[in-house]
Amino acid sequence: MDFNYVIAMLLVALGLYCLLLKRNLIKLIIGLVVLTDGIHLFLISLGYRSGGAAAIVSGEMFSDLPGFAAQAVDPIPQALVLTSIVINICILALALSLTIYAYRHYGTLDPSKLRRLKE
Amino acid sequence: MISHAPILAILLPLFAAFLMPVIGILSRRRGIKRAREWFAIAVVLAEFAVVASMLPAVWGGQVLVYQLGGWQPPWGVNLAIDGLNLLVALIVAGIGTLVMIYSFVYMERDTGLDQYYTLFLLIVAGMMGVALTGDIFNLYVFFEIMCISSYALVAFRRKWQSIEASIKYMIVSSLGTSFILLGIALLYGLVGSLNIADLAQKLGQVSPSAVIVPLALFVTGLGIKIAVVPLHMWMPDAYQAAPSAVAALFSGATATVGIYAMVRVVYTLFGAFAIGIMLAALGLVTMVIGALMALAQRDLKRLLAYSGISQVGYVLLGIGLGTVLGIQGGLFHLFNNAIYKTMLFMIAGAIIYRVGTSNMDQLGGLWKNMPVTATLFVVGALAISGVPPFNGFASKWMIYVAGIEAGQPVFTIIALITSALTLAYFLKALNSIFLGQRPKHLSDVKETPLPMMFPIMLLAVLCVVFGVLPQLGIDIVRPAQEAVMNSGGYISAVLGGA
Repeated sequence: MDFNYVIAMLLVALGLYCLLLKRNLIKLIIGLVVLTDGIHLFLISLGYRSGGAAAIVSGEMFSDLPGFAAQAVDPIPQALVLTSIVINICILALALSLTIYAYRHYGTLDPSKLRRLKE
Repeated sequence: MISHAPILAILLPLFAAFLMPVIGILSRRRGIKRAREWFAIAVVLAEFAVVASMLPAVWGGQVLVYQLGGWQPPWGVNLAIDGLNLLVALIVAGIGTLVMIYSFVYMERDTGLDQYYTLFLLIVAGMMGVALTGDIFNLYVFFEIMCISSYALVAFRRKWQSIEASIKYMIVSSLGTSFILLGIALLYGLVGSLNIADLAQKLGQVSPSAVIVPLALFVTGLGIKIAVVPLHMWMPDAYQAAPSAVAALFSGATATVGIYAMVRVVYTLFGAFAIGIMLAALGLVTMVIGALMALAQRDLKRLLAYSGISQVGYVLLGIGLGTVLGIQGGLFHLFNNAIYKTMLFMIAGAIIYRVGTSNMDQLGGLWKNMPVTATLFVVGALAISGVPPFNGFASKWMIYVAGIEAGQPVFTIIALITSALTLAYFLKALNSIFLGQRPKHLSDVKETPLPMMFPIMLLAVLCVVFGVLPQLGIDIVRPAQEAVMNSGGYISAVLGGA
């Protein structure tokens, strides 16, 4: 169970490492995705319960709501992660399309070469 | 108040954004000219009216709580509007309207305007959402809507400048939002709530050492958004490469929204008035480095971007002092900064529109060609440097006095020196753009067109009005300052109000 959190933080750390030290736009974007996926894993683990039921109330469960609540997983982190995944797909798509344009203009994917604006 | 005004303020630009492509197609089929532009202006004007309709209730001391779907807080998502939220919403709607009017002519030479107006309205919707929501995850989502649309708008012209700036902006800023998301996840794990008021109440009972990490994540993430030194590197690039209308919107409204989020999270959510002094110190570093970097710039838009960073430093200094006068001065400066920074970016855009460049080495002597624009630039430059009788003087004065009253005279002295630096780089800009030798090819440059001039003039008038009658401006920001200081009222209004 706690293993989840370790992996999540490991992913976050890996993503950060990739963002800080890699010199390729594609790798930077991969780092960003790994970082956010680490956060997603962390969030979803918060609501996880081993052997828990899906938090959908139907039929006979209405009669025993406290009993149901005792074994259902927390649905809020799932909703949050779904939202966040959608957002990150948008960022990923935009980032990759911008990378294509950058390669057309500069002929390289090295972010340290993208510094003509400062001149 | 218009009924359902809080949610209307968000939905109006959101739906209009997605209607925009349809209107673009219809106007081409039917041959109606400028249908998109008129529609967009009508939407932002309606938006402004909706926000303004909430003014009397909120200024009367009420906290408007709007429950989405009728779910009670802390379970449902709610919109909570106190004086601070409304001040930010007002700035967003006002600046959005003026920049939209400005875009009417400024963007007319570009293609793909359907997308431009769609993204523009999405940014307005995102900013309005951040400004009005009372739910921390909702705040994150609206932040992302705002940011993703901004990345796309910075890259709008797809030249090498815009692509380079947009990539830098996107990677740095996405890192910032990831930090915010991680902070939210930690808070949810800690107390199991997402409602700002409920979180604030529950965090009061948690040991302070547990909230340090989420607080640090929030401050870093939001610090990237508002470009606090040393997290500011993306901003000059983005502002230089974006179309000037977009840069005007960013500097006026987006920066304001970022500072609002910082204040709301640090003061209301965490109740961490103790780290105010850290914000003030960050503000000091930001204002000095921003001003020093601005001195060295050769591009007008880049100079304005650095000067924007520097002005944000003043706001943080005032707010960080944590006294009544300091917060009032900081928020008043935030309000003023939105006015003159937008105006100066609009003037930079006007120069680009007429001349084609904002590189100050290639400009000169434009006073003869554009006398009105030059006069307006002088007004903006004096206002931002804090020279009476313009509005910048009034708010900076309040921050100086607040610094002395709070027992930090050193802060005041540094702020004063930075003001002098501000004046220095604006005089340099004035000299190299409007005075001096005029290059031959600039001799037939014409005055700024009237539809572009109108929003600039309006903002200049506001500069003078709030400078001559500072009490008027203070009356506008006082409800916001009271809201910042009274987080207990916010919490009980959201949780107690049925």
